[in-house]
Parts: sequence; structure tokens; C-alpha cells
Amino acid sequence: MAIEFWQEEFETLGKKDLQKLQVDRLNKTIESACRSPFYGNLYSKKNIKPGAIKAISQIAELPFTTKQDLRENFPYGFLSLPKKDIIRLHSSSGTTGNPTVIFHNRHDLKSWANLMARSLFCAGIRDTDVFQNICGYGLFTGGLGFQYGIETLGALSIPAGAGNSLRQIKLMRDYGTTAAHAIPSYLGRLYEVFEAEGLDPKRDTQLKTLVIGAEPHTDAQRKRIEEMYGVRAFNSFGLSEMNGPGVAFECTHQNGLHIWEDSYVVEIIDPETLQPVPDGEYGELVMTTLDREAMPLIRYRTRDITRIIPGECECGRTHRRIDRITGRSDDMFIIKGCNVFPMQIEGVLMKIPEVGSDYMIHLETMNGADEMVVEVEVKSDWFQGDIKRLNSLSNTITRQIRDEVLAKPIVKLVEAGSIPKSEGKAIRVTDNRKNGLLN
Amino acid sequence: MAYEVSIFLENKIGHFERITKVLKEAEINIRSMAINDTANGWGILNLIVNDPIKAKEALAEKGVSVALRKVIALEMRDEAGGLDDLLMEVAKAEVNFDNAIGRVITEKQKAILILNVDDYAESIKKLEQQGVKIIDDQTVYGTS
Repeated sequence: MAIEFWQEEFETLGKKDLQKLQVDRLNKTIESACRSPFYGNLYSKKNIKPGAIKAISQIAELPFTTKQDLRENFPYGFLSLPKKDIIRLHSSSGTTGNPTVIFHNRHDLKSWANLMARSLFCAGIRDTDVFQNICGYGLFTGGLGFQYGIETLGALSIPAGAGNSLRQIKLMRDYGTTAAHAIPSYLGRLYEVFEAEGLDPKRDTQLKTLVIGAEPHTDAQRKRIEEMYGVRAFNSFGLSEMNGPGVAFECTHQNGLHIWEDSYVVEIIDPETLQPVPDGEYGELVMTTLDREAMPLIRYRTRDITRIIPGECECGRTHRRIDRITGRSDDMFIIKGCNVFPMQIEGVLMKIPEVGSDYMIHLETMNGADEMVVEVEVKSDWFQGDIKRLNSLSNTITRQIRDEVLAKPIVKLVEAGSIPKSEGKAIRVTDNRKNGLLN
Repeated sequence: MAYEVSIFLENKIGHFERITKVLKEAEINIRSMAINDTANGWGILNLIVNDPIKAKEALAEKGVSVALRKVIALEMRDEAGGLDDLLMEVAKAEVNFDNAIGRVITEKQKAILILNVDDYAESIKKLEQQGVKIIDDQTVYGTS
């Protein structure tokens, strides 16, 4: 079989050439970052000058950037270009505190679309495919990110959006969808709808490739999806701070995700000591953008735990591979494809006088779908014995949490005093999902 | 006016007993009870007791979510058709209720129907106009 590449000149660059490209691009990135209020101030304090990097290992001398930095400099503190040059933003959800917002100029969007097309190509998707993007469009990067990638690749795109399983199945059957992108937990639910309709995706669709991402999952989960749908399923990794999807992707060898090193510098650090760990060892992924003009980020701590897979991939791509994400170095968790910080839930509850601010979040697998169960205490002094008021309180909490984190919770009212009081770092989340990655 | 004791209760093993234990220690006599389950893992326990105020205080002291709710107690005959006849009068009075507890007063061949209503004053007025007999508190709570 002939090996094919989307951009052979970048994808197969030798180590030396790749590192030289990274050094050049990093110096340019530092120069452009210095035009932003945040980096301009930080780097002048630390006397970091554009052109200072001679070898890529010197990146370790630069300070880290954190999500906290992004929030504190909301909204425009990281912009390296005047606002008139910016043409799109993507943002995290959230009504409490500052969201994380990333800005793009025309170059950035084109570069992102290209990386996305390269990713799809390396998973074997071609312009002959019919690609259904089962994913929310809007501020979430999975919708538009994939959309532009599919178009750049030249496949026929179906911007199906999220949910509405019956319509998803109809679209697949009407247009002969051959490839699709969805979060893994949704594919379990969609399969149940196929079954309920008396349909078998293996027999009744032309699907041959599924792209699964936005939610950490295990290899066992991937294999189950492959068996259910009779397809090959490829792991997609991205985060909005690094554009969104298209950061790292599995090739047809399905042995780790190539992380596009011409566009990002990848480091794995020990989250405690902040020192780099050797290839093969697990640690926190730290990333630097190399091809972004509007909002470069340098040494951004992603909080995702993974490792570099040592050795070369048989596919011929020289860009190193990261392993599946195995967890987080902070308390964020992902449910139904949405990133959730327990603090967001706490923020919602604190504004509802009828409940205490103590809460527990249990992540559970119920009827094949992952659910977020939120337990809240009914305050004794508010209780009036009225079942209707309690039901309406429960609905209000459900709605407000959903508005905040975009995932609908199952709210459980519990007796006052039954949740452990917050003493310092109380454990607020338990993960009992079949493929849960916390604990 | 009579009160029932309403308690927020999770549907978990031992939780009901925790309530009855407190009432036992406070020497509260339970006359009748009803549990409304919401299928959401919790429900409301409604109790008619001999001393609702004392019961509430004892439970609240233990941190239980408890409230006193005004109820309407109606007299009914303790015989076949007794409830039906009474409910016909209640319906004629156009009084709607959320839940109800029944209780027998053996020595008098009488029974009591205890109702939760949305609009207490208005419902009392309608029932009185309809000629339904409303029972005094002492009979509701019992004498022992």
C-alpha cells in the first residue's frame, strides 16, 4: 500500500529539520507574543527577547502560561494583533467568572483547517468520503473546527450538529455517510437508537470510519465502538486553547496520536516539580503554539496527563505520538463532551438560597450513557413541606447547571447535613463511570 | 387549626427509622402517616401526631428538614361509603387537595379525613358553606 500524506514536506521532516523549523517559529511566536499586553509585560520583566531561542530545549527557560492567566487577562489581554484583524473567537461555556476565550485571525483559521484536514487524512479519510459531523456548532470548537477541516480536505460535509438521534440515523442513510465525528459516549446512545429502530449500523449504513474525541476514553471503549458500528475508530485530541480538534490525531496504525510538531512544541512535565520527564513517562502536557498570529500561547499548561510514546511510527510520519489522555492534574472532568470544573457547579448552587453550598458530583453510567448526578442539600430553614416547591427547586437547579456547563445534570435533593462539610480540599467528585478516568 | 408534620426524607435504608427514633425519644405518639415518593430518590413524610409543635422542635434540633403545615380535618363515617359521601361534598365545594391522610377514631364509629390544600382559608370557607363538618384540633391529635 502506498503511503500517502496530506503534506509530506511537513509530516516526514527529519528530527533536525523539524527542530530547526520549531526554533525559527518559536522565535517568531515570541516576537508576536511580545505585542500582547500579557506577554509584553511578562517578558520585559523577565528580560526575554525575541530571537533568544537557539535550541528548542531552551523553551524550558520560558515561564508557563496557565488557564488562570487567561482568565485574569480576559478578554483581550493576550491579543497580539489589533481587534480589526481578528475574525473569530471560540470560548468556553460559563456564566460564573471569566470564560476562556481564544481569538483567531484569517491565517489562524486557515492553519487550523489545514491541521484538521491533515488529521482526517492521516486517519484514512479522503475527499471521496461523506463526513457527518455529529457535534455542537457554535462556541464549542468541535463543530466549526471539523467543518472547516472536512471542507479543506474536500470531503462532502454534513453539518448535522449534536443530538436528535433519529435525524442522525436518517442523514446517515439518506446520504450514505461513510465517516462521522462524535463524542464516544454519544455513540453508545446512538447505537441504542439504531437497535430500537430495528436497524444495525453494520448492515444499514455505509459507515467505515468514526472519529471520536472531546472526551477521554479507553482502548476498550474504542474497540466496543468499532464492533458496534463495524468501523475503524480514531482518537482525536484537541483543546480550545490550542485551537480545538486537529492538535493530535491517530493515523491508520492506531498506536498513539501524532501531535503536529510543526505547529506546536510539546513538553511533558512533572506537575509537582514542573521539570520535564523523559519520553515514555507520564506527566502533564505543556504546549506552545508555533503557527498562530492573533493569540500565541507559550508553554501553556493543558492539565491533561499523557506521555510521549517512544519510537517511530510505521506510517512514516516523524511527528511524535502522545498516548491517550489518562487524567487531569486539576479537578476538571469531562461529561457528555463538556469540560466541567466543580467550581462552576458550586458557583451555581451558591446563588440558590434554598440549598446549601455543599454538594457532591457523582459521574455514573446509567442505561449506557454517562450522567452527572449532582447531590444538593435542602436547607432545613427553607423547607416548608411542599412537594411542588421541591420539584420546582430541583428543576431550577437542573436548568441553571445545564446553562452553566452545557451538560444536563441529574439533580438529587438530599437531607441537610448528609453531605460532608467543606474542610479545605473536600472531595466533591466521584467517578463511577464504566470507563471513568478520574478516581 | 390543625397541623401535620412534614419531613423531607431520602429514600434510603434507615432514614425513616432515624425520624421515628427521634419521635420515640420525645414521646410523640404518631396517629397516622403518609409518604409521598417522588421517584427522584426523596419524598415527603407527612405525620399526624399528638403534639405537632413538640415533634417539630425535636426533629429540627436533630437537623431534620421539617415543617408544620396547616391541614383541614373533616369528619367522616367509619362505614362503607363513608369516604365516597364525604368526597362528593368536597367536590361540590370545589376544593382541590394535594394529598390526604385518613384515620379512624374507633370509640366513636367515626373517622377523619385530613387534607392538604393550596388555599387554606378559602377552602375552609367553601367546605363550611357546603356543610362539611370540620373537626377540632384535639380530636385530630387524639387525647392520649
